Amino acid sequence: MSEVQVRGLTVEYQTSAGWLPAVAEASLDLRAGEITGLVGESGSGKSTLALSLLNAVPAPGRIAGGTIDVAGVGDLTRLTGKQLRKARGGSIGYVFQASQNSLNPLKTIGKQLLDLGRSHEVADLRALIARALDLANRMGLDGQRVLDSYQHELSGGMRQRIGIVFALVLNAKVLILDEPTTALDMLSQASVLEIVRKVHDENQLSTLIITHDIGAISEIADRLAVMYGGRIVEDGPLLEVLRRPTHPYTKALIGATARITGDVEAARALPGRPPDLTTVARVGCVFRDRCPFAVAVCAEAEPPLAAWEGERRRACHVEPTTVLAGTPAAVGEPA
Amino acid sequence: MIEARGITRTYQTHGAFTGARTVHALRGVDFTLPDGGAVSFIGESGCGKTTLGKILTGLETFDGGELVVDGVELSKLKPHQRAKYFRRIQMIHQDPYSALNPTRTIASILGDPLRMRAREKGGTGKEAGAWRERAAELLTLVGLEPEAVLPKYPHQLSGGQRQRVVIARALTVDPEVLIADEAVSMIDVSMRLGILALLRDLRARLGISLVFITHDVATARYVGDGGELHVIYRGEVIERGLTDEVILEPVHPYTQCLLSAVPIMRGLEEPGPDRTAPTMALDERAATPGCLFQPRCPFAQERCVEQHPVLVPFGADAGSDEVAGAGASCEHLHACFYPTARRVVGVEVGAASA
Repeated sequence: MSEVQVRGLTVEYQTSAGWLPAVAEASLDLRAGEITGLVGESGSGKSTLALSLLNAVPAPGRIAGGTIDVAGVGDLTRLTGKQLRKARGGSIGYVFQASQNSLNPLKTIGKQLLDLGRSHEVADLRALIARALDLANRMGLDGQRVLDSYQHELSGGMRQRIGIVFALVLNAKVLILDEPTTALDMLSQASVLEIVRKVHDENQLSTLIITHDIGAISEIADRLAVMYGGRIVEDGPLLEVLRRPTHPYTKALIGATARITGDVEAARALPGRPPDLTTVARVGCVFRDRCPFAVAVCAEAEPPLAAWEGERRRACHVEPTTVLAGTPAAVGEPA
Repeated sequence: MIEARGITRTYQTHGAFTGARTVHALRGVDFTLPDGGAVSFIGESGCGKTTLGKILTGLETFDGGELVVDGVELSKLKPHQRAKYFRRIQMIHQDPYSALNPTRTIASILGDPLRMRAREKGGTGKEAGAWRERAAELLTLVGLEPEAVLPKYPHQLSGGQRQRVVIARALTVDPEVLIADEAVSMIDVSMRLGILALLRDLRARLGISLVFITHDVATARYVGDGGELHVIYRGEVIERGLTDEVILEPVHPYTQCLLSAVPIMRGLEEPGPDRTAPTMALDERAATPGCLFQPRCPFAQERCVEQHPVLVPFGADAGSDEVAGAGASCEHLHACFYPTARRVVGVEVGAASA
């Protein structure tokens, strides 16, 4: 059962070169009770995809096609005005990138919580506060103290947790976290990830975590989707994708992660640089310039995201066995 | 060669309501950085890592201890005499997005320090005019295409490219030491290894020594051979030794907590059997007459509350008066009364389980 179904989503930005797609024909399911990790480099369109799940792509961007079906709400791309405002926060909780900087410095956390309640026309504000206290306490915060604090009195990890409280206090069943651990040190990162997993399990959420750090996500996610140049290039159950990556990009990304175990010499940085809106290939595979497995057909036709081996999908012309067998030395430049 | 002897730095805060408070940013840090060597500092936010980096580059003063560069004690020198020593120690900043002036091209960012350096060397006008060649040389060294990059503004480059420009800028004044303060934490994971490989390459090719400051233990492994790792907690080094030794056989509970927090690549790695975590968040206001880590330590005992442990080699008692800081530099030292080896680091799947 899927809580959120994204089908053929295309999001475009207006540039001097015309409307260019930041997300092209993306299809993704967020299943009930599962944490999905969406991984990609800067400029891969992952944040744009996440924002479009709120139908909140900022101008000069627009959702040019596709549907986003949210359980109990319907197609989010067709909602406007008050209905859309209700869905944001009410059905989908969103923890913004650098959410620790998205709090109002002039108001206590509690007052901002009341603002949230009023804008969603919550009748019983006392119950809202009680629920926020309960959530905060379950995340290891001192609820009373936190609600009476200003944001500068809290540490980065605490502010990130407040962001999660705000996202869930209206009983949203879908939780989206955009780069939740980027500005945190290792100890706070570990505790925030642990809390996300705990809150997710306790409330039976459908969670989407967006990150560029495949290492951080692998600890808690159930499914993994890899994004490159606005396309989802591979997805599937996390353990299977990590153990046997069948897209050259996924494989290179895993090999480029600094790890505490394993051979230092074997790790390799990705060659080249990630494409942006203007440099991404219009014809053929978007990854072919950096791909060690590229063949002639990659320059001519874009590979479709096709099902492979059970629940997995991949978008690549090269045979999965060839990618799997490729030695790490064939991927990337020497580190 | 840089030698730090018991560097301390204390800040006085004047809270509007809470009253004056003393913050000990550094409580006596010793280390030796040989020519071409590498020293890494790891710790969580607020442990004094950045203050240390600033002190080493002369951007911050210290109020105790001594900083010795090539045998010269810097605190005895006048500021203008100190300048020539700090020229040789350059910093790579954390955030490549704010470290470069957005209104200047890369050519002008690199040109000014290069012309200044040429004048300082007392060269002729001809040498000063050769800055373009030198800039191209430096950009090539850091792995960028000079013709493509020189006329560009910082916003036209990616994060990884910007960080390479920041490194090239640090190299313009012929430094002998680079201080990398969280140099890769703002960069995409996929680009990090490239920057780390560059730093390692600079060590090998130019003999530049490196002070690597980070919260991400895994990246400290990639700065090259013979690196020493210092684990710093609330301004005090609590464990140190060769990087691989400290990572694979940590004995201090704080180091073990830090290493336990490193995410496991599930499917490729299995968590260590003794993974642990601090019992509470850091509260700097709590008085800790004994071990600084005691309130958060999962293994604290009575003695930890009363007595302050000092750095000693494994097997020795951390309560002894002998200061071990003067011992052999690569020895594995720890400041804990009850050091115990625990297996907290992830293990590669398929690797021998020993």
